[in-house]
This record gives sequence, C-alpha cells and structure tokens, in this order.
Amino acid sequence: MEQAVFISKIEHLKYCDENFTRLYFGNEFCERLIPSRQELQKVLSFVKKRKLSFTFVTPYVTNQGLRGLEKLLVFLAEKCPQSEIVFNDWGVFHFLREKALPVIPVLGRLLLKMKRGPRIMNILDKVPDETRRYYQTPGLTVPEICTFLKHNRIFRVELDNLLQGMDLDGTDNGIHRSLYLPFAFISTTRFCLTANCEDETKKEYVGVFPCNKECQRYTFTLFNPVMTLPLVRKGNTMFFMNETLPEAVAKRQVDRIVIEPEIPL
Amino acid sequence: MKILSPLDSIEEVEQLSAAGAEEFYCGLLEEEWYAKYPVISINRRPAGKGHFRRFDDLKEAVSLSHDLGRKVFFTVNEHYYTLEQMPLVMKYIDSALEAGIDALIVTDYGLMAYLKEKRYQIPIHVSTGGTVFNWRSAAFYKELGAERITFPRHLTIKEIQEIIYAMPAMETTIFILNSRCINVDGFCTFQHGLARKEIFPMFRNACMLPYDVAGVAVDAQGELSAVSPAAPAVQRQKIWETIHVDDHPCGACALHEFNTMGITSLKIVGRGNPLERKLKDVSSLKTLVDCLHHAKPAKKKFRLTARTLYAQTYSRTCRMHMCYYPSVMIDNDQKNSGRKRGQ
Repeated sequence: MEQAVFISKIEHLKYCDENFTRLYFGNEFCERLIPSRQELQKVLSFVKKRKLSFTFVTPYVTNQGLRGLEKLLVFLAEKCPQSEIVFNDWGVFHFLREKALPVIPVLGRLLLKMKRGPRIMNILDKVPDETRRYYQTPGLTVPEICTFLKHNRIFRVELDNLLQGMDLDGTDNGIHRSLYLPFAFISTTRFCLTANCEDETKKEYVGVFPCNKECQRYTFTLFNPVMTLPLVRKGNTMFFMNETLPEAVAKRQVDRIVIEPEIPL
Repeated sequence: MKILSPLDSIEEVEQLSAAGAEEFYCGLLEEEWYAKYPVISINRRPAGKGHFRRFDDLKEAVSLSHDLGRKVFFTVNEHYYTLEQMPLVMKYIDSALEAGIDALIVTDYGLMAYLKEKRYQIPIHVSTGGTVFNWRSAAFYKELGAERITFPRHLTIKEIQEIIYAMPAMETTIFILNSRCINVDGFCTFQHGLARKEIFPMFRNACMLPYDVAGVAVDAQGELSAVSPAAPAVQRQKIWETIHVDDHPCGACALHEFNTMGITSLKIVGRGNPLERKLKDVSSLKTLVDCLHHAKPAKKKFRLTARTLYAQTYSRTCRMHMCYYPSVMIDNDQKNSGRKRGQ
C-alpha cells in the first residue's frame, strides 16, 4: 500500500517523514491558492532530494486561473516528467490531453461524485436497500465510465473516506484508487464566506470578490443536531473528518493512502 | 435570448407560452423509481413536486409545446448513476425520446460518453453540474457531443463573456431567476431535502439549516486561539443559511450585457413552483427582454428599469445576497455614491 502525504503549503513539508514515498502538493478548491513557480520549484527540490514520487494537485479554474496553471504545468512537465497531475476540472484535463505533456492525469475527488453529507447517516437504515447501495457505490461500477477513463489514459481516481462506507466490489481493477484520510470534502463554493470575513461592511457580500486569503488564518466549525459530525469550513470548502479505515483498505481495493496532516487549503 | 421556463404539467404549457416562455425544461419520476429511491432523484430536483409522473403526460405536453413552436428539454442531470441504476436511467431516456423531447440535460460525463458511443441522436445540454468554469471545459464537453452548456451560478459576467467568446459555436444558458445556490451545484455532495415539512431538520437542504458556529484563528506566530462568537468573521458564516432561501434571487440587471454577448437562453429555476409564480417570473422577464430588443436602452437606463420592475413584481427591493451578479449592484452603488459626492 503506497503512503502519500498531501500538503498545500511549503511550511508543511515538515510532515513529510520517512513513512511516505510520495508527496502531494497543491489544492483542489481555489485558484487563488495555486502555488507560484518558485514554491513549486522548492517542493520539486525537496522531492528530488528525498527521492519521492510527486503528485501535483490542481483546482477547478476560471479562464484566468487556467492561463496561470497552464504555464505551471508546462514547467512541471519539464522539471519533473512523469509527475502525476490530479485534476478537478475537465478543462485542465483538456489542456493535458491536447498538449500531450509527459505527465500522468489522475481524476480528482471533486469529479468522482458521491453523496456524503453526514446527515444521511440518520436515514441509512431507514431507506430501501437500493437507496443504501446508491449511497455506497461510486459511478466507477459503470463499465462505460471506466472505459471512458482508460481511453483517456486516466488510470487512477481519488476517493474520500465516506461515513457510509464504499462498496468497490466489481469495479474495474484497471483503475487504481487512492483514499484520502481524514478530511473528506462535502461542498465548495466561489462565494467564499471566509473572504473579507474581518470586514464588517462586507458581511452581506455574497459573490466572487477579491480577498486577502483570510482562509489561511481562519477555520470554522458548524454544529447542528441532525449532522452526525461537525462540519468544518476552511476557506471556501466544507469538510468532515473520518479517521476510520474503510473495508476497502483491508480488501486491498485501494492501493494508496493519502494522508492530510491538515486541511489542504 | 430565449426564456427557458420550468414545466411541470400539460396544463401549464399554453399559459407559460403565452406569457413569453420559448423553451421548457422538465423532469419525470415514476412510481418504480420512488419505490427504490424515495430520497434520490434521477435529476437534481428532489423527489416530490416538480416532476411529471407519466410518460404519456410528457408526450402530450411535448406535442402541445411543439404545436406552439416551443422546445422541451428533459433533465437527466443527477451528478452520477450507479450500474444498478443504469437500466432504469436508459429506460427513462428512451421513453423521453419516444415522447418527442428535443434535448437531454445531462451532468454525468460517463452518461454523455455512453450516449455518444451508442450513437444516440439527441442534442445534449450540459447541466450546471458539469461545472464549466473555463473555455477548455466547454471544449471538453463539445468533444463529448454537447451542443449547449449551462453556466454555473458562480461565474461573473466577465468570466461568462470570456468563455462565450472563446467558444462561439456552443449555445449557452445562464441562470436568471430563483434559487441562488451558495455552493457550486456540480461539486455539492450534500443530500437535498430529505423529508416532508413535518420532519423539519430533515426537510431543509443542509445549506438552509441553522448552525452554531465556532471559529479558530492562527496568528503570525502560528498560535491558535478561539474567535469570539460576536466577531465579524464568525457572524459572516451565518449568512450561509440565508442564501438558498428562495426569496426571489434575480440577475435581470445583467441582461443588457448578456444580450450583447449573445447568450442563447435565460433559465428560470422553479420546477415545483406554483403556476402563478412561474407566470409572474416569465412575464416580468419577457418584459425586460422585449425592452432590450425593441427600445434598445442604454445599460444604465435598462438596469433602472429592471430594478423598478423587480420591486413592482415581487414587492421587495434588490438585496446583495439575492443578486445573481452582484458586480452590477456594486457598480450601481459606486456610481450613485460618486454622483452624491459631486453635488
């Protein structure tokens, strides 16, 4: 079982100890947090020195974000060919495919969608078996989806550790799976409520506005009795925590664990 | 620009057409689906209101719509389907095609690939769940066979314009009225409303529930400390539960720009809304679209017309958190402030 560590800041390289053979770097949720070329270079130097495998994680992007990211991906492909690129935007994949960069595309967890708000744990034993199976089964069970992925040279997908568990029986073994622990994302937004959160006059601003990256300072926890776990908001994204290893690990239906020492934002 | 209206029954077709709707979109759930998936839908509208219940009814509604020169699009836009669901999903699609629908609204890229591989001859519209935030995403779906994209709510006017100019061959739809979703629809994995109103906590969408909020902040030395509940940073998080309340969110002021850039279709959210509400939405939008086409007003004058009509139609003023394209509101406020300072 490959062990990887996922960080979003240079300072978090401290988490990459001898237990890990692969480093994930980047973020999935905000184009304003895409690292600079200098930051990426520093991480690549670290990776080279430690002889690690490398995965660069990318977010969904607007045209503006895409322009910057394209340059960065070309740079990465030159400096560290055969890096993995986790994409959470089909536009980023379109770029990788068109340019035939010597990198390995990986389908990010935002593009492998399963319902997972903690509230559904209240009803799991009350719904028909078909519904329960739906909550526990990814789209990967559909052969045509796997064919589509493999046809596009996508041979790995990223998974969250869902509270309801995940049934991967019958999924195509030609598609490798990584499991992220312990932070699972639930939802994300461009109407970031952490942006400008210190400015009383902008309390009602809900939209896409400039920010001061307040997300690097604040983390919020939201409680409601119907949610079986607290929700954690970091920046523009909502998470929950699940540290319990799923059966899929014991069954060797995932071949990589991706540890998130902190929320990767 | 065409007005794309929700449609829930045969009885709505004539009145909505007369009010100005030029395209319809709809969904359908039969008893067979409900029995297996009482809280899961085949499209993004939760089980319950807002669905046709029989394909015969859909066929009749489509026929009537076509007689009136209107197209009907069928939603099969849940984010993903499992292998177990696929036979039923394909049965729905085949039945909808037999009913004469004019396009499928789809999110699942796997389903799009499947339909392309099986050579289904039906236009595909990418749902907002397809998360087209840039031109390359639009190009990706075009290569999968899509003809139209529905932009996510979370794009600015300028960002929409950039994609349209980069992909002129694709038709486009934007949201214009109702349901301003706080989360990116295509990346939201919360289960929508789960129960009837009597079971309040399970009824509301997760983003509409009240939450107690606690905050922590890290200082320059890397030390963590709790944030006061009264602090603006914590208070701001509470607005989350107010956004999705359907208090008539609107983007009509931006119609001037959308007309210039060539948006194909203006989507009114509202499957499940009473017909009276739908008629009000369609009529007011029709008034504004006609104004643009005939009077060709300047942008500032049009925005004033739109805001006045909104106040008259819905008996409320424009509010920032209910504005689909708030850059317009800020733009208006800045111009008004400048005028006051100059006096």
